Amino acid sequence: MYSLSNQLKSKVTNLNDLLKEKYESILDLNREDLRKFINTHIGEIKKMDKLDNGHLALYESKGGIVGVDGSNNKIGGAYPHFVEAYQALAKSTTHKDQPLILADIYSPLYPEQEESPLEEEERVIEDKRNIKLSTIEVEAALASIERFKPYAILMDGGLIRYNIYAADKWIELRQRCEEEGIILVGVIKDIKTSIIGDTMKKINPSIDECFYDRELLFGQLDYGEMILIRDEVNKKEPEGYSSVFLRSSLAPSIIGMDIIDSQREYMEDMARLVFTLTPENSRGVPLWLDIVDKEVKISDEIMKALMERYMDRGIYERFFVSERDKRSL
Amino acid sequence: MKVVGITTQQEVYVGSKERNFRINEFLIIEDPYQEDLLGEVVEAKTFNRYIPLNIYGDFVDNSVLESLKALGYDIDEDTIYISKVRLLNEALYPIQTGSDVRLPKFEEVKDIMIKTSREDGLVLGAIKNTDDMALQMDEEFKELFHTFEEGRLMPQKEIPYIMDLKSMHHYPHIGVFGGSGSGKSFGLRVLLEELMIQNIPTIVLDPHFEMDFSETASYLEEKTENFKDKFKCLQVGTHVGVKFEDLSAQDLKNLLDAASHLTDAMNNVVDILFKPRDSYYSFFNRLQMLTEAQEEGSSDKIESRINSGSDEEERRAWRERKKLFESYDKTCPYNSVRGILWRLKRLGNDGVFSKDIREIETGLQNGKLIVIQGSTRILQVFSTYLLNNLYHKRREYKDALYKKTSAEYFPPFIIVTDESHNFAPKGYESPSKSILKEISQEGRKYGVFLILATQRPTLLDETITAQLNTKLIFRTVRASDIQTIQEETDLTMEECRRLPYLRTGDVFISSATMGRTIFARIRAAITSSPHTINPFDELKSKFKEEDERFLKIIIDKLPVMATDLTDLALEIEQETGTTYTVDNLEERLKQMVDKNHIEKEETIFGYRYKSKK
Repeated sequence: MYSLSNQLKSKVTNLNDLLKEKYESILDLNREDLRKFINTHIGEIKKMDKLDNGHLALYESKGGIVGVDGSNNKIGGAYPHFVEAYQALAKSTTHKDQPLILADIYSPLYPEQEESPLEEEERVIEDKRNIKLSTIEVEAALASIERFKPYAILMDGGLIRYNIYAADKWIELRQRCEEEGIILVGVIKDIKTSIIGDTMKKINPSIDECFYDRELLFGQLDYGEMILIRDEVNKKEPEGYSSVFLRSSLAPSIIGMDIIDSQREYMEDMARLVFTLTPENSRGVPLWLDIVDKEVKISDEIMKALMERYMDRGIYERFFVSERDKRSL
Repeated sequence: MKVVGITTQQEVYVGSKERNFRINEFLIIEDPYQEDLLGEVVEAKTFNRYIPLNIYGDFVDNSVLESLKALGYDIDEDTIYISKVRLLNEALYPIQTGSDVRLPKFEEVKDIMIKTSREDGLVLGAIKNTDDMALQMDEEFKELFHTFEEGRLMPQKEIPYIMDLKSMHHYPHIGVFGGSGSGKSFGLRVLLEELMIQNIPTIVLDPHFEMDFSETASYLEEKTENFKDKFKCLQVGTHVGVKFEDLSAQDLKNLLDAASHLTDAMNNVVDILFKPRDSYYSFFNRLQMLTEAQEEGSSDKIESRINSGSDEEERRAWRERKKLFESYDKTCPYNSVRGILWRLKRLGNDGVFSKDIREIETGLQNGKLIVIQGSTRILQVFSTYLLNNLYHKRREYKDALYKKTSAEYFPPFIIVTDESHNFAPKGYESPSKSILKEISQEGRKYGVFLILATQRPTLLDETITAQLNTKLIFRTVRASDIQTIQEETDLTMEECRRLPYLRTGDVFISSATMGRTIFARIRAAITSSPHTINPFDELKSKFKEEDERFLKIIIDKLPVMATDLTDLALEIEQETGTTYTVDNLEERLKQMVDKNHIEKEETIFGYRYKSKK
C-alpha cells in the first residue's frame, strides 16, 4: 500500500478541475465543426492509403530509407560532477550491416571552451546537450548521404531544432539534400505547436486561452488521415519547412512531419511512407525510427560499464559516483 | 559461430548470426589454448531483439514488417542463434570466450557415433541431427534403412545408430520404456527384426498377439528381407505347454501359485501329495479321491461306504480312498487340498499340461525367434516354467564346461517381453519375477539376456531395472515414470523435460557402451503388426461385404412384393442355405433401401421392393 498525502490528493483534484474548466469549450466542440474549421482555415484533411510493396521496392532501388536518431545519457551527480555521453545513428534499410555511429561526451569538469560555471548553469548545460546531440545527428545524416546515397532521410524529431543548435552543419545538409535530390523529413512524436489555437484566436479574439494542437487534435482525425498545413498558417514556414499532421496508428494521438519547403511536392508521399511504416497498434511512430532509436540508445548499464571499464576507479569514484548511486533502499 | 559469455570447463554458450542450432548436434570448439574440443548442443535458442514484435510496448503488425522488407530490411536477419553446448570430455581450463566453433567432420565423430560394424550390430535407426556429418560418411553406413517422417517414407540421411550386440556381454539387458503410441512397440519390432537378421535365438513373450513378422509392411515396395523362416508363433495350450511328468514339486508349486496365490498350507499339501513322475491324471486323481474321502468325514464312514458298495470296482475305489485318508488327512487339511485341486483344474482347462516345450527348444537351437502367445495370466504361468527350464539348461551346459564334464549343448539366448511389469512387478512377489530377477543378475555369465519393454517403468521391479544397462526411452507423459527414468538413467534434466513432447518413434538411447545419451529415430520396420487395421475401418468394410453378399442373393429375385417375403425366405434358404425369418428379411431389405441399393415403391397391393434403374 502506498500512503498518499491528503495535500497531494487535493492538489491533483484541483488541477483536474482547472483543466476541465479551461477545456470545457473544446471538449464540448463538435467534431464535425472542428474538422470543418480545419478544412477551411488550416489545411485540407485528406485520407491516405498505405504504399504498396511495388512502390516501396522502388524506394529501395533508389537507395532505401535512412533513419537518424540520437541518444544521450548522464552519469554522476549534480553540477559539475557528471559526464554526459551522446550518440547518433544513421541506419539504412538497404545497408543494415553498416550502421553509421557518431559519439561525443561532455563534462563540465573539463569544458572545451571557457565558461562561467555560475551563470545560468541549467540553461547552459541544456544548450550544450542540444548542441552536441544535434550536431552529431546532422553529421551522421551527412555521412549517410556519402555512404548510402539514400532516397530519403527520416530524422527523429522536428527539423527546426537543427536550425537553432547546429545551424552551419544543417545548412550544409539541406544544400546537399537539395542538390542530390534526397528527401529530408523530420518525424515529430510530440507535437508542440499551436497552429489551430492561434488561428482560432485570430478569427475570434474573444478566446484568450492558448490551446495546443496536441490537445485540439486528440481523437479528431480518423486512422490514416492527414492535415496538409497551409504554409501561410505554419509558423515554421519562415524557417523553410512545410508541415503535416497525421494519425498514423489506432492510438488517438497525432504526430507531425516536417519537410524542407523545396521538397514540398513529396510531402504526401512521405506522409504515406510514415503511415505505411507505422504499426497499426502502436503509439504512432514508424517502426524504422523505433528500431534506430533502440539501437542508438545508451542504456544506464552501458554508461556504467563504460565508466567502470575505461576510467580509473579512483577518478570515477572521486568525481562521478554520487550519493544517489550508492543508495540501496 | 563463436563461443560467447561466461564459460566453464563443462559447458559453453555458442552464438551465431547465420546458423540455427539443433538440439543434440555436435560442434567442435577450436580453443586456441587447448586442443579441439567436441561438444553436444543441449539447448538451442533464438533471439531477435525486435521480436517479440514489441518495441516500447508496441505490437508490430506483419504489414509493417512486409513494408520494411520491401524497403530492403528483413527483420528476421537480425535474429541471433544461441546454443548451450556441453563438452563430451571435460576441458583442462574453461574455454576461451571468442573461440571459433565449427561443425565436425564425420571422421572426427565416427568413433563416438559408431561402435561396431553393420554386420555385428543391430541397426535400430538414425542418430538425429547428424545429417551434416553424414554427407562424408563411409559408403558402408549409407542407405541402410528408411525412416518415417510426417507419414512418408524417407531414405536414410543421418548417421545410423548401430547397437553393439557383442557389448551385451559386458553391459547386459535392455529396457524399452514409453507410453502408448510413443513408438515403443515399433521399436521392439525393429529390435526383433535385427535379432532375426543376426540369427540370435530369442524367446518373445507376446501377450498382445502382435509379434508376427510374416507381413511385409505395405510402405516398402521392394522386398528387402523375408523373416518367414526366422520366427515361429506358438500358442500356449495349442502348440506348447508344460510336460507334467518333468515337473518337480517346486515347479508345480510355482505354476499353481501363478494360477492363484498359494498359502503355506497349500504349499505343504503339494509337497506331501506330489510324487516324482506323477502324471497330471495320477496327481489329479489322488487329490480328487482324498477330498472325496475327507468329505465323508471319518474312517468309519468310509468303511461303511466300502461295505455298502454295489460292486467290486466301487469297493476297491473306496478302499483306496480310505488308505489316502488315513495317510494324509492329518497333514493335509481339506480346504487346502480343495484349493490345490481347483488351481490344478484351472491350469488343465487352459491346456497348459497338454503339450511340451520341445518345439521351443528346437527353435532356439536353430537360432530362431520364438514368439509365445497367450493371455497375460497364462503367459505368467507358462513363462515361469519355461524360463526356469531353458535358463537351467543353458546353465547346466556352461557349468559342465567349467567342470569339464559333458552336457548337451544349449545356445545362449535373449528373452523379450512387452508389458514386463506384469512379469516382474515391483512391490510383490510373483513366480515369473524370481526367474527374471535371477537372469537379470546372473544371466550375463551364461549368455542369457533380457529385453524388457513396459509403459510403466515405475511398476517394474527395481533390482531388475537397475540391471538394464541400455535403455530406450520413448515419449513418456506420466510424471511418476519420468521421475523413475530420471533416477534410473543418465538422462539430464533438459532431456527429461523433453520426454512428454517427443515425436512418435523418437527415442533417447541411454547406453553404457556409448557413455552418454543418444537421441535417435527408430527406422521404419520391415514388417507390420497384424493389428494395424483400424477397427472402425474393419467395421465399415465388414458391413460393405455383408451388404454386397445380400444384394447378390436378392438382386435376381426383385421385384418382390412385401407380402411375398415368406416365399422369398424359403427360396433363399433352398439356394444358399442361409435362413432368414420374414422379419429378418424385411429388416435387411429396408436397410438396402436406406443405403440406396434398391428402391421401395407403393402399389395398390402394398409395398414392393425393386432394383434401382
